[in-house]
Amino acid sequence: MLLLGAAVVAVIGGFPVVAGTDSYILLLLGKFLCYAIFALSIDLIWGFTGILSLGQAVYFGIGAYFVALSLKINYALDHPTRYGNKFPDFMEWNGLKALPHFMEPLVSTPFAVACALIVPTALAFIFGVITFKRHIYGVYCAVITLAESLILQEFIIEYQAYTGGFNGITDYSNYLGIPFLWFMLAVTIAFFLIARVLTHSRIGTVLKSIRDNDLRAQFMGYNVANYRIFVFCVSAFMSAAAGAMYAAWVGIISYLDTGPVFSVEGVIWTAVGGRATLIGPFLGAFLVKGLEFLLSGVLAAFWQLLVGLLFIFVVLVMPDGIVGSIAHWLRRHRKGTLTQLREEQDLLAHDREHDWQPAGVPRSGEESV
Amino acid sequence: MALLEVKGLTTRVSGYTILDNLDFSVEENELRVLLGPNGAGKTTLIAMITGQFRPTAGKIHFAGQDITGWSPDAIFLAGISRKFQVPNMYETLSVYDNVMVSLQSDRKVFKYMFKGVTAAEDERIWEILDFVELAGKASDPADTLAHGERQWLEMGMLIASNPKLLLLDEPTTGMTPDGKQRTAALIQKIARNHTVLLVEHDMHLVRQIARKVTVLHQGQVLAEGALDEVVSNKTVREVYLGKGKRH
Repeated sequence: MLLLGAAVVAVIGGFPVVAGTDSYILLLLGKFLCYAIFALSIDLIWGFTGILSLGQAVYFGIGAYFVALSLKINYALDHPTRYGNKFPDFMEWNGLKALPHFMEPLVSTPFAVACALIVPTALAFIFGVITFKRHIYGVYCAVITLAESLILQEFIIEYQAYTGGFNGITDYSNYLGIPFLWFMLAVTIAFFLIARVLTHSRIGTVLKSIRDNDLRAQFMGYNVANYRIFVFCVSAFMSAAAGAMYAAWVGIISYLDTGPVFSVEGVIWTAVGGRATLIGPFLGAFLVKGLEFLLSGVLAAFWQLLVGLLFIFVVLVMPDGIVGSIAHWLRRHRKGTLTQLREEQDLLAHDREHDWQPAGVPRSGEESV
Repeated sequence: MALLEVKGLTTRVSGYTILDNLDFSVEENELRVLLGPNGAGKTTLIAMITGQFRPTAGKIHFAGQDITGWSPDAIFLAGISRKFQVPNMYETLSVYDNVMVSLQSDRKVFKYMFKGVTAAEDERIWEILDFVELAGKASDPADTLAHGERQWLEMGMLIASNPKLLLLDEPTTGMTPDGKQRTAALIQKIARNHTVLLVEHDMHLVRQIARKVTVLHQGQVLAEGALDEVVSNKTVREVYLGKGKRH
């Protein structure tokens, strides 16, 4: 598994070095990494904790807009508009005379990046307190997150003097190139490891128990809302980071990147790859997005339809996704030796019983626990 | 001072009075059986004690604290563990993990971040798995267990949390006679060093393990005392065991 991971990292990291930097595939690789982090963030809340969010793109989008705005403002300082103004051209088109005061701090890119990460996380926290503390979850939560993402889209379109509206923000210096790809790869690995530690430690078991049976968890003393808020914030942070890198990489960002369609796409990648697995979201994002880029030239009109059908297929036929189904198949394949395994386990349990018993002390489990 | 003390507990739901000014208490280290016909308010009483619903009126005191209106998780941390009527556990987790999640701790989010299972905790988990006779299935997912085993696992989960009071709501529902026997033995084993409040319908089982019995009827305590006394009580026979019939 570790070797496989290393191989994938080497291929992604090494490809542009071999193929050159003007390749279209370089752009795609970077995009896919952002998509994969986005899917991972959805997997954390949906696959591991059972919160279906149809608005995770809100956090991706806010992260992306902060970075894009900052880069655009900086770009405008060096590249004055047609009328010689040193502020973003879309603001000029919309009748602004100067950069709004509240946007001035965004000249500093580190500040913008900090905002890109902190603001979405804080929003997720507020959202969590409002909904999870009142025991709103399940379908209601999904609908609220969907509304959230529609509201943000509407807001971006409405305030186009500040956000670029329908056109989005474009024409700024982006960071497309091998060093930034490696940086993104490092961030991806870091997030993967964080997710791994999180899901394999005790908190991960608690999150899964909340997913399986939140009532039981609550009657076992867990403040279910706090755990949900926590994981929701971690997820929003990852989404925001993915969005921030996406804006810096691609060089264009629009209201579509904050919308429900993109959110649902993330859910589909996770479902296709395999919920509640860590590799699933990566596989799903690369596979579905990869197919899209391969096929959408041919099947442009039908692509969304195909993705929808794929989703229905996955939900009906293999609800555990690709990775989950493979894991199941492997387990079934080993069934021949299952009884043998069981016997070994029993023996081990028996040994354990005797190993742990201090000499001369009667076994306590029989009398008292 | 009793461990659990319920005073004047009243619950009304859309005009129906389910618990009617109920007074009830459980002493420490007691094994108390709660009897009553359907609709007597047994499960409602348990739901009130564990904070699932708020009472319309009345107070619930536990271990010297007024726990009326507390949230279920706070009441759990105060020391009351509840077993649901239908087995209620974490289906996709392994048997081991089910017990692990239930171990006593303060359950704070950030303390759980990177915490693993300590050697002492691991030992305790195996001890409990032995106690409920599920050590051989430790790595199986909970949803592959048989019905009876699921009931025992849930009891193991309750013990793992080291509660001051266990509320067992009809733990033998849907079990085979053999399963009932084993469950009865398990409950008696638990009751040796825990305070247990047991809701049970099966008179056979009750005869086997009961020491002190409380009979609820229409949201009030109808009778309380040793099983034989209560069973020979005329009113109890009328409302619960069926008029004039010998049980």
